Amino acid sequence: MTDTLKRSPASRKRPEGFWPTLIARFLKHKLAVLGLVVLIILGLLAIFAPFLAPYTFDGQDASIIGQPQPPSAKHWMGTDQLGRDAFTRVLYGARISLMVGLFSALLATFLGTLVGALSGYYRGWTDAVLMRVTDVVLCIPLLPLIILLSGILRPSVTLLIAIVGSLSWMGTARLVRSQFLSLREREFVEASRALGGGDNRVMFRHILPNALGPIIVSTTLSVGGTIMLESALSFLGLGVQPPTPTWGNLLNYASQWLTGAPWLAIFPGLMILITVLAVNFLGDGLRDAFDPRN
Amino acid sequence: MSLSYIFKRLLGMVPLLLGVSLILFGVLHLAPGGPLDVYADNPSVTQEALDQMKRAFGLDQPLPVQYFRWVTAFFQGEWGYSIRTSQPVMEEVLARIPATLMLSGSAFFLALLVALPLGILSATRRYTGVDYFITLMSFLGISMPVFWLALMLQLLFAVQWRVLPSAGMQTIGDGSLPDLLRHLVLPVFILAFASVAGWSRYMRSSMVEILSQDYIRTARAKGVSARRVTYSHAFRNALIPVVTVVALDSAAILSGAVITETIFAWPGLGRLFIDSMNGRDYPVLMALLMVGSFALVLSNLIADLAYSLIDPRIRYD
Amino acid sequence: MGNQKQETNSARQKRMVLGFSAAVLLSGMGMAQQRGGSLTVGLSYDIDTLNVYSTGFLGDVQATVAEGLVAPNEKAEYVPVLATRVPTIQNGGIKVAADNKSMVVTYQLRPGVKWSDGKPFTSADVKFTWETVKDPKFIAESKDGTEDITSITTPNDLTVVVNYKRVAPDFKSTLFTFGILPKHTLEGKDLNTDTYNQMPLGTGPFKVTQYVKGQFVVLDRNPFYWRKDKAGVQLPYLDKMIFKIIPDSNTLVTQLKSGEIQMATSVPYAQIPQLSAQAGLKVIKNPVLSWQHLDFNLKGPAALRDINVRKAVAYGLDKATISKALGGYPIPIDTVVVPVFSYSSKTVPKYPYDPAKAKQLLEAAGYKAGSDGIRAKNGQRLSFNIMAQAGRSTDEDAQQVMIAQMKTIGIELKPDNKAGVALRDARYKGGYELYYGGWITSADPSYGVFYSTKGVNNGQGYSNPKIDALLATADSTLDPTVRNKALRDFQTLLMQDLPSIAVTSNPSMIVTTDKLGGFVSNPTNMTNFVNTSGWYLKK
Repeated sequence: MTDTLKRSPASRKRPEGFWPTLIARFLKHKLAVLGLVVLIILGLLAIFAPFLAPYTFDGQDASIIGQPQPPSAKHWMGTDQLGRDAFTRVLYGARISLMVGLFSALLATFLGTLVGALSGYYRGWTDAVLMRVTDVVLCIPLLPLIILLSGILRPSVTLLIAIVGSLSWMGTARLVRSQFLSLREREFVEASRALGGGDNRVMFRHILPNALGPIIVSTTLSVGGTIMLESALSFLGLGVQPPTPTWGNLLNYASQWLTGAPWLAIFPGLMILITVLAVNFLGDGLRDAFDPRN
Repeated sequence: MSLSYIFKRLLGMVPLLLGVSLILFGVLHLAPGGPLDVYADNPSVTQEALDQMKRAFGLDQPLPVQYFRWVTAFFQGEWGYSIRTSQPVMEEVLARIPATLMLSGSAFFLALLVALPLGILSATRRYTGVDYFITLMSFLGISMPVFWLALMLQLLFAVQWRVLPSAGMQTIGDGSLPDLLRHLVLPVFILAFASVAGWSRYMRSSMVEILSQDYIRTARAKGVSARRVTYSHAFRNALIPVVTVVALDSAAILSGAVITETIFAWPGLGRLFIDSMNGRDYPVLMALLMVGSFALVLSNLIADLAYSLIDPRIRYD
Repeated sequence: MGNQKQETNSARQKRMVLGFSAAVLLSGMGMAQQRGGSLTVGLSYDIDTLNVYSTGFLGDVQATVAEGLVAPNEKAEYVPVLATRVPTIQNGGIKVAADNKSMVVTYQLRPGVKWSDGKPFTSADVKFTWETVKDPKFIAESKDGTEDITSITTPNDLTVVVNYKRVAPDFKSTLFTFGILPKHTLEGKDLNTDTYNQMPLGTGPFKVTQYVKGQFVVLDRNPFYWRKDKAGVQLPYLDKMIFKIIPDSNTLVTQLKSGEIQMATSVPYAQIPQLSAQAGLKVIKNPVLSWQHLDFNLKGPAALRDINVRKAVAYGLDKATISKALGGYPIPIDTVVVPVFSYSSKTVPKYPYDPAKAKQLLEAAGYKAGSDGIRAKNGQRLSFNIMAQAGRSTDEDAQQVMIAQMKTIGIELKPDNKAGVALRDARYKGGYELYYGGWITSADPSYGVFYSTKGVNNGQGYSNPKIDALLATADSTLDPTVRNKALRDFQTLLMQDLPSIAVTSNPSMIVTTDKLGGFVSNPTNMTNFVNTSGWYLKK
């Protein structure tokens, strides 16, 4: 018992500082570092798209309109049916797709963690009320509701982020709650409380770090999930409106050209794949870094 | 956990569903355009006829009255008539349930059967070739839009090799079980694919978490075999967060079926939802959303019950 | 679902068979017809009801079951079906009252016609159809024409006398073309909920034997069908027709390629090149009675009420490039009346592509280019929202080409696309600034619904008393000379006012197995399935 207490995070001292240790641990995880680098590059590409793109995203070349052209020296990723440069559109697509994916996942994680932590820690009435709210929102099928809202509100990018983020926190909330429910019964929490730790301290300094693993995994997966959701909305004609490109609507648009112009599909598809891979490796690395037992 | 607890939870579903119904009813009725708009441009539908329809559908009443009427009738099993097809809503919805249950249910169990072992394998062989391979495959699964993968598989299996039907639920004139199973293969695979990817990641991460816990180390140190540690001690505990996700996703599978059903021309609830939405068929939409909500409530309850089965330390009073 | 009704499939006009016309014509005339076989057709929407009067769609399946007294043919001209002739003033079938305010139409019915259950078809069924559809208790998608009729008498089993309270030149395109209802099974029933909606009974070449909701409809040969071919063989040739519901257009194409379906009637343009390259399939271009138009909301931004702005938009639109962007299938047009109609005017004011002239017009009207290239006058920028049907890829593509073209003359257009009821709502109530979309009409269109001041489809707030008068004339005369003149003058005036720019007429693409013979496409809203009895499959 003494042994357990000594090694539990509550009693663990970090003389060298929490963040430097974290960073040091993270840097050991090669794939995670690679993921981070890729994401930074993608982010920079997205931010500086207007300077990097060889054409404008809606610029049409009337001489080749009507038939998609395969990749060439002039157009690295070919052109679409309207004679627009596919490389430019993929670049611009990164802006919207990354923005929607990242921000709505962050919004959802923030809301979810807050609700889950409060609920799992305090239990009783707080839990009952918060979980009732969570349940009510959870009980509304997500995709249909988003489809309905999209029909009513005509989603701009910001609105899309708000809709998706504010409707997809419940998973994280329940996950965090279940972690808290189980962790609060652990010895180290009881010990910390016995040592006079305040609620906030116990909750966010002691329990939360232990629950971070699943939260991070859930966040990283939901970045990918949100990019997918955006493409699903595009499939139903409810996504971001053309000519503004997103990876989702580029891919959906390409589906009718699958056999005639496969390059239209390959590049946005690869971008989604690379992004999701990078985000997940990053998530893996972060979890390992956060995990004090490693 | 006791029977009285379950009973209490079941009872608790009623106010919950009432809350949901209120929200949904509001969203639906505050949206622009009503079901009778389709007749608005039709000079042959006289005002008299329009009024008659309004009365018939109860649309002439104020919203709260409409809601009250609808909700009392709904809970008594009176779901009204579809505006689009004039058929009883209950009949329309019930007719679609088996198809959706068959599709989502098969996908759910397939995903579970594949995801859990994959996750465990990945966790116990962490940072080996097996782990990387499984990880890569799950990321592929997560990052592949459903409609995209579906299209490619249809082209491959139905056009190129001609071994499977590309869509539909049965060959016309052949309602046999093998025929149904052949039609199930592609949509079930597609629907399960994304879930497998997500769930195996959760299982892996949860398993990794537990395997590094002190009590597991203690068990190992005490000389308990690795196999026993993994399957008897770690697995149970690792399941808790996974159960949450799986329960949530089981309902998401129902939602995801909207797209899978559209692509594969599968005659389920998702298709009915899209068709009803385009025609703003209020009675059917409400019924579908309520059925969806009910499924969600139920899966939450099952998840909670599953926790306490898995981890006796979680107490429900 | 209104827009679907207007825009889903349609087909009517002279058919233009790409490369295969010779084969079709030859087999149509030769002795190649063989009885037997089953044809599976892919439907791109889910059937709501099989009742022609209730459905929100055009009624492809219904057309094989229910028959009207008359029907439009491939040239959008009416031919007799259950009647022995199309009533006209010349043949005495129409008698207009002396005061020119009412008319009487007499139909002689075809003897020996039976319902597919073997019971005889009589004039009582025709009268019953009118009474049933007119009944306010019956909730119909379309009651067109019922209110024009004051009474129907049936002097004998084969004569129907219809009394109209106005001179209705469009009497053919409505009630009795859609289909006759069987009195003997429906009398005293509630048609809203009757099983007729799933298992309709008709006099047509096929009868419904199985309808599985959301999946398919199986139709078998009607053993009592009245039509025979020239050799005296009882029609239809086909034993069976199957309609499969496949809502996703990519899947529809996949099923064509895999041979799971043998026909589809509105295939996306982008898919046509690869399908026409596929062995065993043929592509038929069907120029439907529809036109794509760019509407200005005259109740919207003030600049849109400036005729110079509208003219500049017209001159700045390169219709040829729009057509090219859509694979070259759409046909550029100059007026809202599609070329197939004899009264489509060739002398309307035209606005050929001329960006220099467009800029010049805007410049002269005081719209000067700002630093971003967008023109403005008194601080009002020429920046508008343009609405199209979300998810309709041909329209969205055309819309994007227009946006690019307008940018070059200094007008900014921002997409504001909507779908379903939201689109409808905006379209009919003027909830847009510019709108790009299409209308499809019957073979006897009334343009009053679109362009007269009180027209139900006039959501753009266009009003011109002269147009109102011309359209009122056109909609109340049976004299083709008077009608055609009024409609020609209307087009000239409309294109002067330019509330709407006629852009292209988009044909629908039909893909069938090359074994299908006797197929004749149909450009009207009665669908390509309006006469399936002569279709056959080559062995």
